[in-house]
Amino acid sequence: MCPRCLELSRRSLLVGGGAAAAAFHTALAQARVRPVDMVPLVGAGYRPTERDEIGLWKEMERVEEEVADSNLLITDPKITGYLQNIIGTVGGPAARDFRIYLMRIPEFNAIMFPTGFAVVFSGLLLRTRNEAQLAGIIGHESGHFLRRHMIRSWRDQRRKTDIFSIAAMAAGIGGAGAGVWLGDYAQLAELGTIVTLFKYSRDMEAEADAMGVKLIANAGYEPMEISDIWQQLIGEEEASARYRGKKRNRGYGLFETHPASESRMADLRTDALELTVPGKVYDNHRARFMEVVGPLRPTLLDDQVKLNDPGASQYLIETLAQDGWDGLLRFHEGEVWRLRNRPGDDVRADQSYAASVAYPDAPAEAWRWHAVSLMKVGRSAEAKAAFGRYLKMKPDAPDAAWVRQMIG
Amino acid sequence: MNWKFVILAAGLALPSCSSLGGGEYGFSDYSLVSVRRLQVGDGRLSVTPPRSWNRHRPILFEDIRAVEDWTLNGPLLDGMSFVTGLKSGKSLIRQRRRASQQVPAFRDNMTPPEIAAMIESLYRVRGGAVDFRTLSLQPRPFLGTNGFQLDYEHLDEDELWRRGRAVGAVINGQLYLILFDAAKAHYYDAALPDFEAIIASAELKA
Repeated sequence: MCPRCLELSRRSLLVGGGAAAAAFHTALAQARVRPVDMVPLVGAGYRPTERDEIGLWKEMERVEEEVADSNLLITDPKITGYLQNIIGTVGGPAARDFRIYLMRIPEFNAIMFPTGFAVVFSGLLLRTRNEAQLAGIIGHESGHFLRRHMIRSWRDQRRKTDIFSIAAMAAGIGGAGAGVWLGDYAQLAELGTIVTLFKYSRDMEAEADAMGVKLIANAGYEPMEISDIWQQLIGEEEASARYRGKKRNRGYGLFETHPASESRMADLRTDALELTVPGKVYDNHRARFMEVVGPLRPTLLDDQVKLNDPGASQYLIETLAQDGWDGLLRFHEGEVWRLRNRPGDDVRADQSYAASVAYPDAPAEAWRWHAVSLMKVGRSAEAKAAFGRYLKMKPDAPDAAWVRQMIG
Repeated sequence: MNWKFVILAAGLALPSCSSLGGGEYGFSDYSLVSVRRLQVGDGRLSVTPPRSWNRHRPILFEDIRAVEDWTLNGPLLDGMSFVTGLKSGKSLIRQRRRASQQVPAFRDNMTPPEIAAMIESLYRVRGGAVDFRTLSLQPRPFLGTNGFQLDYEHLDEDELWRRGRAVGAVINGQLYLILFDAAKAHYYDAALPDFEAIIASAELKA
């Protein structure tokens, strides 16, 4: 089945092998990096002057051309303009130099490249609950650029390995872009390869954390939101792993670079308290965030839930529902059960669909699946009514022909 | 691009991937099928292809008996899969029990939208699809019974749009399905008549 799947598993095997071979950072305990010590090392309009960095920038300009031309980009100006505004707010002295691209990939990730362009994955938008959290992640990535982590990590690799081959050069570029976990989408042709080969050191992550908190607090965002979003991500990974009966360990990525993730959370909270100025008003700008990201949520949730990772999806839905349940979240809760498909899950799924259709914002699909459930338990009159409701909401639904046959 | 060298370099360090090697190690994973009536999958379904396709050699531990894969121009460009009598509780592809993301198992009480959703998850979980659009789901007779036809297209992480058609039916609680999937540009239209001829020729073993 799916002949291409074989090709894909083979490719991810190769990429995974490269990543494992390249990971040789030492794991030393370290003291907290204080936000006050984090001064930007580059100013506005930075251009490299040394030969190796100029070479790196040339390579990266080609990568940016490819990214800018990618089929996977979400190009709706409302959301891209919104992201550009955020990085313009939390980008420090380089704020006006940054470019930001949004890719449709259902994983939590954001990557900063050495020339100052960032790639945000759509899975990140799904997981943030307000603008302060999104700005926190973007501020963290800005921190990598402002502290010159890419060129520093590349030079460090070269010093350690003493290899000057093309492979090492490319690997160094990889080091520059390596942000957080890239997930199974490490397969993503060229991009996946360059960003998973190396990782930032723990020291650099600690610096970027401190810098990120400082940037958002200065911009008036609630600084505590950063530790909240990291905590939420760890919770999601744990829920996913627990569900499949394994330990949280994805081999490479954000949390393996930071075995002491608990102390990282503590540091972020301390940073936030330290930066909070008494009397100053901090905001998380949820209303503004929902106005732009809200309309994308049906697609973002769909992309996540259909991966059939019930532990992660259920955790995520419940987390988002802390801001209030609605028809969309109840519908996707049903989808999680339906796709999990264990004995009794059909009943659970239909409870969620039935709850969903009681909300005014219930998606048409909630009516369709509610109807299928009713039909399967023999409540055909109600099923027909629900199918009818679905067709009324979505007269040109792709499965209209099948649904009409069911209505009879 | 330079980083391609890195992929190759990393590949050399991995000794055991030749069985997945897609042919570049000097032997082929494919054999030509003849233009005559052939049994496919576990032998319960037979079809007559209008020309020679390439049949994928089953890989131990990777393929399941109820599924057989063909291609005309290579799996990245086009492919046809035969699902012959998939039993309730089984999935379309072999997967690790502890994999975080899984293709849902088939159940004998599944309706066509549920089978369509299962196929969608196959592409999203294992095929690297980042966008999947159902174009149509409609009733269609298949193997002398009430079946369905699903048309869809998907954007994969290699940035290519692909298009597919699946025709199937649940017979005696088991799933029978023939699925065709190809690059949307040129390859889908080029081999769709083959697929339709194969669907028309499909017969269950008496």
